[in-house]
Amino acid sequence: MPHCTPEDLGLAALGEPLADDEAAHLADCAACRGEVARLRRVVDALAVPELAAPGPAVAPPPGLWAGIAAATGVAAAPRADVVAASAPAAGPVPDVVPEPLPAPLPAEPAGPMAPVVPLRSRRSRLLLAAAAALVAGLGIGAGAVALATRGDDGVPVAATVLDPLDGSDASGRAEVVERADGTRVLQVELSAGAPTEGYYEAWLLDESVSGLIPLGVVRAGTEEFELPAGLDLGEYPVVDVSVEPLDGDPAHSGVSVARGLLDA
Amino acid sequence: MTTEAEPAPAGAAGPDDAEVGRRFAAGEEQALAWAYERWAAQVHGMAVRAFGPGPDAEDVTQQVFVSAWTGRAGYRPEQGPLPAWLTGVCRHKIADTWARRDRQRRATEAAVAELNAAPAGGPAPVDSTVADRVLLLGELDRLGQPQRGIIELAFFADLTHTQIAERTGLPLGTVKSHIRRTLERLRDRLEVDGAALHA
Ligand SMILES: [Zn+2]
Repeated sequence: MPHCTPEDLGLAALGEPLADDEAAHLADCAACRGEVARLRRVVDALAVPELAAPGPAVAPPPGLWAGIAAATGVAAAPRADVVAASAPAAGPVPDVVPEPLPAPLPAEPAGPMAPVVPLRSRRSRLLLAAAAALVAGLGIGAGAVALATRGDDGVPVAATVLDPLDGSDASGRAEVVERADGTRVLQVELSAGAPTEGYYEAWLLDESVSGLIPLGVVRAGTEEFELPAGLDLGEYPVVDVSVEPLDGDPAHSGVSVARGLLDA
Repeated sequence: MTTEAEPAPAGAAGPDDAEVGRRFAAGEEQALAWAYERWAAQVHGMAVRAFGPGPDAEDVTQQVFVSAWTGRAGYRPEQGPLPAWLTGVCRHKIADTWARRDRQRRATEAAVAELNAAPAGGPAPVDSTVADRVLLLGELDRLGQPQRGIIELAFFADLTHTQIAERTGLPLGTVKSHIRRTLERLRDRLEVDGAALHA
């Protein structure tokens, strides 16, 4: 019997039953089974309950819209009673709450040894704060990161994209430029709303996120920081931007909003 | 195509769902409010299913509506209803949240290992499934119709190819060959770029 058709291998990967002949061949043929296994990896990644078509509706809490209004600047507002009526009010929790996720945070905060793991409770507040600042025109719009033109006196030696952490809207880019005299400068280009309290600070971290070097205050836009001579970027390859309260404490606040790994 | 528009709640005035979608795409602010009235519970319900009730689900819900609004240029009303598009945005935000948690987990494990002066076992492994999902959802966005709608019905609505043919009115053979080609395309994406990602 010839091999299964590619169409049937696709259906088999999706878990559909095949006709008897095809199924019998598949059971015996390593080549066909191998092909199903390769396709199956795609199915296993995507066809999971968490990503399935919407299940039970759960009305969002009343305060949720405020963050959206702040981030978008939209003045029109949904009617609270209509939102509340859009899902059974008495049953905010679905029948099945799945096991928490492929990659949950460790249950125990790691304490002093992991100073820059963002704090959960501050997360929503940060999003709101950043969003509010956007509306006030202090920030650059999301996704509108324009590359600043830089002086031509330097050679880029490493760069990274700064990805937002934990629901922040901060993002950007960092680049290390080596000047003709051998000094190195880290250019941080940040797209973010100004925090309602405190300020952004840039850091270099080691890969374990346990050692850190403070660089200085960052505002939205492009900032330059001269790196200490002899600093090994291989040892401190992570560019981190945190929100720091105005409390006089020079330590990292633990609230990072964006981070990237320099490719040397 | 994958998500039937829920009927508007009783007593909710305003245009029908298709009109809300068109006005949303056109940037009319009232359409965002209408969309929230009609579909926030559906989006939040998805996030709650993934993360349980609480801050993660709420963050995801906010992000979905903010991204949908700022990225509304990417919504094509003629390609499907707005709630289906919001569902797709929600999938991305859920997968992004998983990926972020995975990065944090690895960072924390590395920090603990260093503090304990554990023998260096290299960095904690990337959860490849988490990375695969982000990669594959991005590739789904690149599919045109009807390929995308077909594969979404297979993945996310758990329909068989026969049911998909009935639902879409497309011939059985067409559905089968679209499924095959899309699966192969996604497989190639995983095997080429996924490998680099995990390296
Ligand atoms: Zn065979």
